[in-house]
Amino acid sequence: MLATLAPHEAPPIVDATAVRSPRPRRVGALVPYLYLLPGLALLAVWVYRPLTQTFQISFVSWNLLPTSPARPVGLANYERLFTLPDFGSALGRTAVLILGLLPFTIVVPVVVGLLARRVRGRAATVYQGLVFAPLLVAPVAGAAVWQWLLDPRSGAVNQILGTTVNWLQEPGPAQLAIIVITGWHVLGFAVLVVAAGLAGITDDYAEAAALDGATRGQITRWITLPMLSPTLVFLLLMTVLLAAQWSFPLIDTLTHGGPAGATTNVYYLLWDYGFHSFDAGLGAAAGVIFFLGFGVIAGGLVWLSEKVSIHDN
Amino acid sequence: MSRIQIEGLTRRFGQVTAVDHVGIDIPDGDFLVLLGPSGCGKSTLLRMIAGLTPPSDGRILLDGRDITHIPPRDRDLAMVFQSYALYPHLTVARNIGFPLRARRRPRTEIDSRVETVTRVLGLGELLTRRPRELSGGQRQRVALARALVRDPGAFLLDEPLSNLDATLRTATRAELTELHRRLGSTFVHVTHDQVEAMTMATRIAVLNRGRLEQVGTPSEVYDAPATTFVAGFIGSPAMGLLSARLDLVDGGLYARAEGVDLPVGPGDPEDGARQVLVGVRAEHLALVAPSTAPLRGVVRLVENLGSEEVAHCLVGEARLTVRGPRPLGLAAGDSVGLTTDPEHVHLFDPGSGRRLVRTPTPVTAVQS
Repeated sequence: MLATLAPHEAPPIVDATAVRSPRPRRVGALVPYLYLLPGLALLAVWVYRPLTQTFQISFVSWNLLPTSPARPVGLANYERLFTLPDFGSALGRTAVLILGLLPFTIVVPVVVGLLARRVRGRAATVYQGLVFAPLLVAPVAGAAVWQWLLDPRSGAVNQILGTTVNWLQEPGPAQLAIIVITGWHVLGFAVLVVAAGLAGITDDYAEAAALDGATRGQITRWITLPMLSPTLVFLLLMTVLLAAQWSFPLIDTLTHGGPAGATTNVYYLLWDYGFHSFDAGLGAAAGVIFFLGFGVIAGGLVWLSEKVSIHDN
Repeated sequence: MSRIQIEGLTRRFGQVTAVDHVGIDIPDGDFLVLLGPSGCGKSTLLRMIAGLTPPSDGRILLDGRDITHIPPRDRDLAMVFQSYALYPHLTVARNIGFPLRARRRPRTEIDSRVETVTRVLGLGELLTRRPRELSGGQRQRVALARALVRDPGAFLLDEPLSNLDATLRTATRAELTELHRRLGSTFVHVTHDQVEAMTMATRIAVLNRGRLEQVGTPSEVYDAPATTFVAGFIGSPAMGLLSARLDLVDGGLYARAEGVDLPVGPGDPEDGARQVLVGVRAEHLALVAPSTAPLRGVVRLVENLGSEEVAHCLVGEARLTVRGPRPLGLAAGDSVGLTTDPEHVHLFDPGSGRRLVRTPTPVTAVQS
């Protein structure tokens, strides 16, 4: 007589929940949130609370003195903001600043990064140290040295260029000086980010492309740069969001937003409203508008970076 | 269609010599497998042929043209990488068409070539996908298609099957062999897998520590290993080797050692008293009664392979494996007697590890 083979019998499963008491399980489920709590608490105290307060202050008129009352004014601060000519021109100058910084945060770092791949060994370390060094200089200290270099009479810049430009006192040159000094300061960071991005691309692709008949230029254009695009979008995002902040200590040291507001960008403007004019409501309203505006731009760039990012395997 | 000649090719990395004076002549249409354990220099050798690693010394000729210092893109060689190196931001169609695009071929020609190649490899419905949306086997095919698309002089394959699972590897092995037969191009295939080498190659080059141990057809390499390294590396289980002394008795040579008294064929007076390494493959050993057997030992382990069993035996201090239909009737701890035909006995020089062959005149065994 033929009988089918009995299927493999799995050992009975012991119900783990029946063994454990319910109480430790509930605590167990809480554990990850407990780990997150310190970080969340810091975020709440230092980011979300000030943000909420900024929203609140933007609806009042207040001169920052604890003794004087904050008078609710509704949307008046916003109305004032949009009628003042400063606001639009500061936005325009911020755009100029961002565009002016892009060569320093994207173009030059990519060129330097691609060339630097041919430098090997100790030379590469020395060279990276040199490029990164400006970032370690305190912005205000750097600004002091630049002020000296840009002196219209005895400054090295005018001597080398053979010009007599009063760099920090003329509108165009002042904006240019702020852009170049900010660019000099952040270049090392951008080069480092690009170098990390390039290091993340395995040599296999370039080697495969070389055997497939691609020239060096074709490999750069068709393989390396497309694969580097997430890094470049990240740098674009950093530049757009942080350009005004990066330049702030330099502006505050060198030009105070002048001459005649020529270097006043959005961050300097709202700081000026709040802490020079002591108009907390107006400063907060400007802060809210910039927060929302940059939020939208950041959202767009994050979407773009998701779109261009390449999931390798 | 390409003949590749490698002459005295050497590559040093600092103090380490990865490839040491390797010379191979790969005739047009050959399927040469570079076989060796990891770190033997086989991949470095392939990369030097491809032009990705510059040699420290030596020459590479492609159809008689010296290509030692020619950049990879001008070599007319295609390579399949172990990682496949599919461009992750390009679709399958663009990946396959890349070599033609790099050579500035017209769009229509690229499209029709890609179409032909994908039809041959059965990749039709994958053309618009990105590499990350493909399985391992599909990626391997796309990498192969990218190599095939421009009809190169020779194909270089760097462990292309090592990332596939066992079933797929067996199937792809057969497909590659079939592809080679159909194209008739020169293939150079790097692997550490002796089964791949035995089944696919028209010739095998065995490398060890950067040196070429033997070049020959799969049968030659298996049946007459030139060195003890080749003897131990090719064949599963590995050929057992035991050291013995030759004795000449009535014109017949006997290998003698503890537990060993094995006739190895006719000999001459010069061969007597010579120290040798004796090798016998597992399938050439037969079980006999222990008392009178030429090889006497103890079973240490019996492995069940399903259709066959492999018994690991200790003879003197050497390990010999015997393989036979299941059941062998042996268990660990049993005394065992083994015998073999003299024609299946391999003799090696213990100093150099090289094979000893019989020469007709002068009648001495010499190093090959």
